Amino acid sequence: MPAMVEEREGSSLVRLKGVIDITSAAETKNVLLYALTSNKAIRLALEGATELDITAMQLLYAAERDATKSGVLFALEGVVPDEIKVAMTEAGLVKFNFQQ
Amino acid sequence: MSSATIIDKHRQAFLEEAREVLVELESSLLELNERPDDGELVGRVFRSMHTIKGSGAMFGFDEVASFTHHLETAFDEVREGRLAVTSKLVDISLESVDLIKKMLDEPEGEGGASHPPASDILARLQELTGIADAKHSESHPLSTPLDHPAKEGAIKEWIIRFAPGPDLMRNGTNPLLLLRELKQLGDARIVANLSAIPTFSELDPERCYVSWEILLSTAACHEMIRDVFIFVEDCCELTIETVAEQPPSPPDLTAKLLEEQRKNPGRREHDKPDNASSIRVPAAKLDQFVNLVGELVTVQARLVEIAAGRDDPEVTAVSEEIERLTTALRENSMSIRMLPIRATFERFRRLVHDLARDLHKDVELTIEGADTELDKTVIDQLNDPLMHLIRNSMDHGIELPEARVAAGKPQTATIHLSARHSGANVLIGVTDDGRGIDANAVRARAVQNGLAAADAHLTEAEVFSFILMPGFSTAKQVTDVSGRGVGMDVVNQCVEALRGRIDIASKLGSGTSVTLRLPLTMAIIDGLLVRVGQDFFVLPLANTLECVELTRQDIEKANGKHLANIRGEMVPYIRLRDFFDIETERPEREQIMVAETEDGQYGFVVDEVLGDHQTVIKSLGRLFRHVQFVSGATILGNGTVALILDPHRLVQEVIKGNARSARGHPGSIAAIGFGKDGLLSKSP
Repeated sequence: MPAMVEEREGSSLVRLKGVIDITSAAETKNVLLYALTSNKAIRLALEGATELDITAMQLLYAAERDATKSGVLFALEGVVPDEIKVAMTEAGLVKFNFQQ
Repeated sequence: MSSATIIDKHRQAFLEEAREVLVELESSLLELNERPDDGELVGRVFRSMHTIKGSGAMFGFDEVASFTHHLETAFDEVREGRLAVTSKLVDISLESVDLIKKMLDEPEGEGGASHPPASDILARLQELTGIADAKHSESHPLSTPLDHPAKEGAIKEWIIRFAPGPDLMRNGTNPLLLLRELKQLGDARIVANLSAIPTFSELDPERCYVSWEILLSTAACHEMIRDVFIFVEDCCELTIETVAEQPPSPPDLTAKLLEEQRKNPGRREHDKPDNASSIRVPAAKLDQFVNLVGELVTVQARLVEIAAGRDDPEVTAVSEEIERLTTALRENSMSIRMLPIRATFERFRRLVHDLARDLHKDVELTIEGADTELDKTVIDQLNDPLMHLIRNSMDHGIELPEARVAAGKPQTATIHLSARHSGANVLIGVTDDGRGIDANAVRARAVQNGLAAADAHLTEAEVFSFILMPGFSTAKQVTDVSGRGVGMDVVNQCVEALRGRIDIASKLGSGTSVTLRLPLTMAIIDGLLVRVGQDFFVLPLANTLECVELTRQDIEKANGKHLANIRGEMVPYIRLRDFFDIETERPEREQIMVAETEDGQYGFVVDEVLGDHQTVIKSLGRLFRHVQFVSGATILGNGTVALILDPHRLVQEVIKGNARSARGHPGSIAAIGFGKDGLLSKSP
């Protein structure tokens, strides 16, 4: 499973693994939606991710924006792999900056 | 539809577009062979290769991308001036184009750069260029996609706005790869516009909501930048505008870009339902559409009949409105089917190039009227006949260079392909300046084969028409290219199937000209509906000049000769009643429809002209395929059948009939008529 959620006390940890692209976009959305509706702080772990495409990036952007708007913390946990950072820079997502 | 199915569908779209780029590449390579110093052509070849490579990789054709990468590298050397364009390089490149076409046709995973021909081509390329990179095992195809484009001119700043359509990603396109490719053209500052991303719950996870504004500082031209997006142009919004020449010390580019973005916030035109300027439609769907329009035209004619029979202004008004709309729909649907013949013509550059090399001849192909439009059905079926004609010219018509020089001709022979409209027809010409056809030799072979009597009086056109007969060849030697007497027969069959005909003119020692006369369309034409007795005919409106009355006094004045005096001009006429043996009483006043034919103006005498008629052409089938003066049939509103006449062939038939009568074969004019049961019958 490229996306999964772990329930913790007071927060939900969303882990993305491997290639997160259009083929897994629907599944990723469901996982994030589950985390968003739990009304707990969301922590995003990208350590295991090797590639994010635009569908994945816009899902994360929308999740972070909606969470923040509702007063829910949306923060990164762990290290973001260089490939992912490069891909985001290449996509021009300069405003896309999670708290860590 | 699953993602895999959608991606497959768009891989198919890529294949179609890639094949078009390959045709363009082939054409550019052939031009480059003639103008090896043309820098613009080199650039065009390079860009086509780059497009095939980049898009091939994007759609998963890695082997195509890898193979093309080496070719592109070689042409980068040409751009740099480190490698000269030679015939050998062009030949290797053309071979490569053939191989890429084959790779694209092969099922996934087969062939590719590991394919023996690929290794062989790359080895020869390496030998020629001396670039070690030409070994297929090296370097990733996307590692050096568009090397050093800044050499092409002064550095300019471009603002590029790229807004993918909603389905771009579902189509299998990854916009990140496009942005990456763009960055390789120069210094790119990319800012994503995220304002169109909806709330999380409303977000369609497979749709692309992000658009980009890019400030690109590069020496690449507009075309090169556009080429990056060539395969997604139909499903995105794209604007490419220059900002200004780059100043000596650049300002903060990102600030400039953000300022630009501020001026044009969140522009997402494709959120409207229709954002594509053109779309690809399968030909079968188009055929189905035209068939349905044809059915509608027939039903509409029935409605006109019904409306005419009732004295009801409301029904008449509706009928007239439907007629207007049907006419507009018909014209529209027919125009969709019309395509320029350019692509078909351009394809033959390669054939001429390859045959000239194989036959050791020096031949130039010239093209005229490539923008002439024809019905797609006609164009699709023209390839084989034209190929046969060109092969015949190359093999039998064009002499070897030394023979041409000895005959006082230029060493380089010319084959001229032309297209032009003539009324409701298109004339396609294949003309060469070769040795021409020996009419005496053709005649002798015809006599030998029992096709003509030894003492027959034959015109030159009649003699040349023997060439079109099955198995007829005067070639002393059968070659790989032609000479089996099969080609011209096939050409004739194809052209007849298109309701066309072939004219051959030739002068011994000077060359040969073969003209294919083809109908503009095979589906629906504007016609003039006429009646003779109880029978109906349609004459194409494009040929018709005017309608005048013919009274018994007019006939008497002409002393029974079939000539009408129309404003002082004597116009010969054909009475359809006599021609078709229609045995009903002749009316006191008849009508002459004057039409323009290749033999001048001719009149066609009918009982009554009923008016314009949108004519849906139905084939008469194979049984009547030799009845050349009837182009087909159409169904009228009342369900009866009307024959569609070909005025030119009708005139030809009468001229031939008269000539045969003069030579002692009377009564040959009435060759076809309506039998007692109302069906078409053919007299012996």
